[in-house]
Amino acid sequence: MSQSVDTILLQDETWERVDKATGGAAAPCFQCGVCTAICPLGLVKGETISIRKMVRQAQLGLPGWADGLWECTTCLWCESRCPHEVDITRAILGLRQLAWKEREVPEGLPTLLWDVYFDGNTWGRPPSERPLWTKDVTVKEFSSDDEILLYVGDDAAYDRRIQKVGRALVSVLEAAGVTFGTLGEHEPSCGDAVRSVGHGEYAAEIIDANARLFQEAGVKTAVTVSPHSYDMFANRYPNLSGDFRPLHYSQYLLELIEGERLKFENELPLKVTYHDPCYLSRRNGICDEPRQVLQSIPGLELVEMERSREDTLCCGGGGGRMWMETAAGERFSDLRVPEAAETGAEVVVTCCPYCLSCLEDSLNVIGKGKLRVMELAEVAHLALQSGAVASDAASGRS
Amino acid sequence: MRPLQIIACVKVVPKPEEVKVDTKTMTIERGEVRSEINPPDMNVLEMALTLKEQHGGKVTVIAMGPPLFEPYMRLALAMGADEAYLLSDRAFAAADTLATSYALAQGIRKIGDYDLILCGEESSDGATAQVPPGIAEWLETSQITYAEDLEVLSDSKMVKAKRELAGGYEVIQVPLPCTVSVKIGANEPRFMDMERKVWAEADGPVTVWAASDIDVEAEMIGLPGSPTIVDGLAQAESTERKREFLEGTPEEQAKVLVERLRPYL
Amino acid sequence: MTKSLYGAKEASGIWIYLEQSQGQLEGVSLELVGKARELADGRGIPIVGVLLGDQVGDLAQEAIAAGADEVRVADDPLLRQYTTDGYARVVTEIILEGKPDILLLGATPDGRDLAGRIAVRLRTGLTADCTDLKLEEKSGLLIGEVWGFGGGVIAYIKCPDNRPQMATVRAGVFAVPKPDAARKGKVVNVPVKLSEKDIKVQVLEHVVGGGVDITRAEVLVAAGRGCQGDFTLVNELASLLDGEVGWSRVPVDEGWVSRDGMIGQTGYTTRPKLAIVCGISGAFQFTVGVEKAETIVAINIDAEAPIFEAADYCIVDDMFNVLPPLIEAVKKARGGNGGR
Ligand SMILES: Cc1cc2nc3c(=O)[nH]c(=O)nc-3n(C[C@H](O)[C@H](O)[C@H](O)COP(=O)(O)OP(=O)(O)OC[C@H]3O[C@@H](n4cnc5c(N)ncnc54)[C@H](O)[C@@H]3O)c2cc1C
Ligand code: SF4
Ligand code: SF4
Repeated sequence: MSQSVDTILLQDETWERVDKATGGAAAPCFQCGVCTAICPLGLVKGETISIRKMVRQAQLGLPGWADGLWECTTCLWCESRCPHEVDITRAILGLRQLAWKEREVPEGLPTLLWDVYFDGNTWGRPPSERPLWTKDVTVKEFSSDDEILLYVGDDAAYDRRIQKVGRALVSVLEAAGVTFGTLGEHEPSCGDAVRSVGHGEYAAEIIDANARLFQEAGVKTAVTVSPHSYDMFANRYPNLSGDFRPLHYSQYLLELIEGERLKFENELPLKVTYHDPCYLSRRNGICDEPRQVLQSIPGLELVEMERSREDTLCCGGGGGRMWMETAAGERFSDLRVPEAAETGAEVVVTCCPYCLSCLEDSLNVIGKGKLRVMELAEVAHLALQSGAVASDAASGRS
Repeated sequence: MRPLQIIACVKVVPKPEEVKVDTKTMTIERGEVRSEINPPDMNVLEMALTLKEQHGGKVTVIAMGPPLFEPYMRLALAMGADEAYLLSDRAFAAADTLATSYALAQGIRKIGDYDLILCGEESSDGATAQVPPGIAEWLETSQITYAEDLEVLSDSKMVKAKRELAGGYEVIQVPLPCTVSVKIGANEPRFMDMERKVWAEADGPVTVWAASDIDVEAEMIGLPGSPTIVDGLAQAESTERKREFLEGTPEEQAKVLVERLRPYL
Repeated sequence: MTKSLYGAKEASGIWIYLEQSQGQLEGVSLELVGKARELADGRGIPIVGVLLGDQVGDLAQEAIAAGADEVRVADDPLLRQYTTDGYARVVTEIILEGKPDILLLGATPDGRDLAGRIAVRLRTGLTADCTDLKLEEKSGLLIGEVWGFGGGVIAYIKCPDNRPQMATVRAGVFAVPKPDAARKGKVVNVPVKLSEKDIKVQVLEHVVGGGVDITRAEVLVAAGRGCQGDFTLVNELASLLDGEVGWSRVPVDEGWVSRDGMIGQTGYTTRPKLAIVCGISGAFQFTVGVEKAETIVAINIDAEAPIFEAADYCIVDDMFNVLPPLIEAVKKARGGNGGR
């Protein structure tokens, strides 16, 4: 479309807003193009996100500037390779915040925020249903003398598939004799969804309220089911006190193993490969812990995919993409499942609700023989169950 | 083009899943329950704000209810509404649709200037859908119920909308001022603006009107003004899914299912 | 207290607003005639129908065959289509003339549009969207059963002093009575005092059958991978029920359909009264899009499918075995009467 010179010149105000929205994050960019070249969207779409182009379009106030903005999964690949350490996802989320102001957001996202606002979760379900994930298992309310707070998160609380992961984790924790509790009905949404769809202002409010809640409850160690909750608590909650220790459950399981509280004594003859969630590996450098947990299971064989650890391929669910439709053929997980299958593994193990949903979904669509997707907690639970000496607490649950 | 004066009628309702009947006192326990803006009224706000963007003018929110409604009025301001009036007085309590529509109509009269009065198609607690036509009658405006795709033709002072019918729709056009009941899901309500929220919570213009502040006759509002009375209450079976597995041949299953589904056929 | 325009002493009879569209009576109107007949019997209460339209006189006999004693017909070209102003005016005149004790209307969009307006005009009480009606033993007062709070609470409502006692009633809660062609009744033509300028409503377009998108459909039939791309039966069932068709993500992925009707987390959220879900496993990403439905029916060949956890009525079978008899049964249940 043609823009007259006048309109372009008139956009000074917009430019200021863009610069402010991105917190100057894009300023050090020297237009080398590495990010655009490496973005995995190129694998599925032919066209990748060009942060340079996007900032430029936003500056000019060109219509449609916000279009490409929503494709980014915040997988961080670009950032990890940028020679000038540009905080690319910060720029993208900043532009998304601007898009909220200009009301240029994809359908469905305002509803997501209202769901979080009125119901306290991303699924728009009643908080009273939040504790139901435990089914017939009793998990008590957290008290400050518990060793850990189990932060369940919206997905493990409500999504029937992810609930199983929560229950598996509970039986592993019980088998290790850990004292723990949850915040039950009062558990808040961690704010990851809100932040990753770019509503930083609202996320800040959530973060504030949650930090207070954790403080008041006397939480010291919080173990999360989702890497996204972990990333929030570890990196985006400035007001948590110094002795607050967030852990992803893979880290905590390793601690239990190293402390000899959790032992896998029976053989679990299973060939697995491990899919690194970006929010653990690239974002937080947690690559070894889940692998070490797997390797402590006798009989289990771990094989690697080519893209692994910090080079993992995103499942496609981050950056709010779980709430935006990705057309068949454009899903990263459609590429990932064959990669996992090629290793000859029977199970692709991961430890993120989004990864699990996306991988399982792709597996359903493409169907890869005997390959299955499991969460680390489910594998650990299976390993405990596989022997005759499985403790009572761990039996009969999945 | 003339700017539009839009009145948005908003109600705050308890979350349905939270509502319990106290079978001893036969009242509804509303104590600690979580509330929300009645979902279709969120569509009302979105429609009002969109129309304001198109035509200019002002969006005024009005509600009748207890003081606990007030924070929700501020939420409407945070979404973009200009000011809000809350009719709050014990004298308004226990009103049925006749008394409710009368009180709201009198409140709107006091606000004064209006082209469009937007209401939600029904409230999730009462589900009567009768308040909007009631307001229209008290104020002698035209009406469009179950409307979406509203288009104001401000030059000819008309409003046009798509309106739901049993198993279909019609497009009608009526003169302003008009009272409209907005179909649930007619649009996606915008999220509030956080800067506006700060303003709305601190300084947002929310005016509380008692019965004496508006021109109402005491015997026409609240319980005395309500010709209908509640003769009894019962808790419906739990809202949990029944999970009844139907047995038999497909023909037998179909027969049982059709019996179960009677109200929908 | 707000006084109605006439009082209980002057009032008598159960009157039913006979809603018609394009020369056909709405099913709910006949259901109401049948129910009124049942309530009236033994009490000697007359049942009177009120019928408005353009050349609709023939329909009066249908109401009489269903149980009405009398039908008052207002026939005029200006009443060809429903308009709030035109209809409210004529119905109010007829009511003030006849002074019924009870006035019942179907809770259709037009029925509610009219009822809400004339209830205020008559300054009387209206019990909306009833799911049952009875008469109080001693007083003979009408008691309407209504569901509030998203169906969580049932309330019984009456209107002791004002007249008429008005109620709108959901379609389908009562059965359509068997017509008795030999039944005799009185047909009274009422003069219509209406001029063109009384009607401010312009109907620009009027479409029955379709045009409702799935987020607003009252009845939804959804299919997933299990339909193997064949939506014929699903479409047939949906149109029988005046409903719409939706689907899970797989049919979109497979290219059988477009994204327009996709239900779920990244599709549309629906809130039908009834959802019939066929050949869909029930992944949570799908289920969140139908969970607001009042009633959910699931048909799936796999007894372990998670969709059954979210359903009220569960049928474990091949959808292609279940749908044909279901379609037949629905046809039978809806009887010969036209649409609603
Ligand atoms: C980020 C993300 C977002 C998503 N968003 C959505 C969304 O918005 N909407 C959505 O629907 N999905 C969504 N999905 C996909 C979702 O997870 C499921 O994969 C999908 O809903 C499955 O569709 P389905 O039930 O039709 O297919 P399947 O899961 O393959 O199930 C088919 C079912 O049909 C049954 N069946 C087969 N043949 C018959 C027969 N003849 N008669 C009866 N039953 C039969 C089978 O037993 C099975 O249960 C999303 C996934 C992800 C990862
Ligand atoms: S890789 Fe970094 S410096 Fe190079 S274009 Fe991208 S953001 Fe700019
Ligand atoms: S974060 Fe990932 S998806 Fe987003 S632009 Fe960078 S490489 Fe692409």
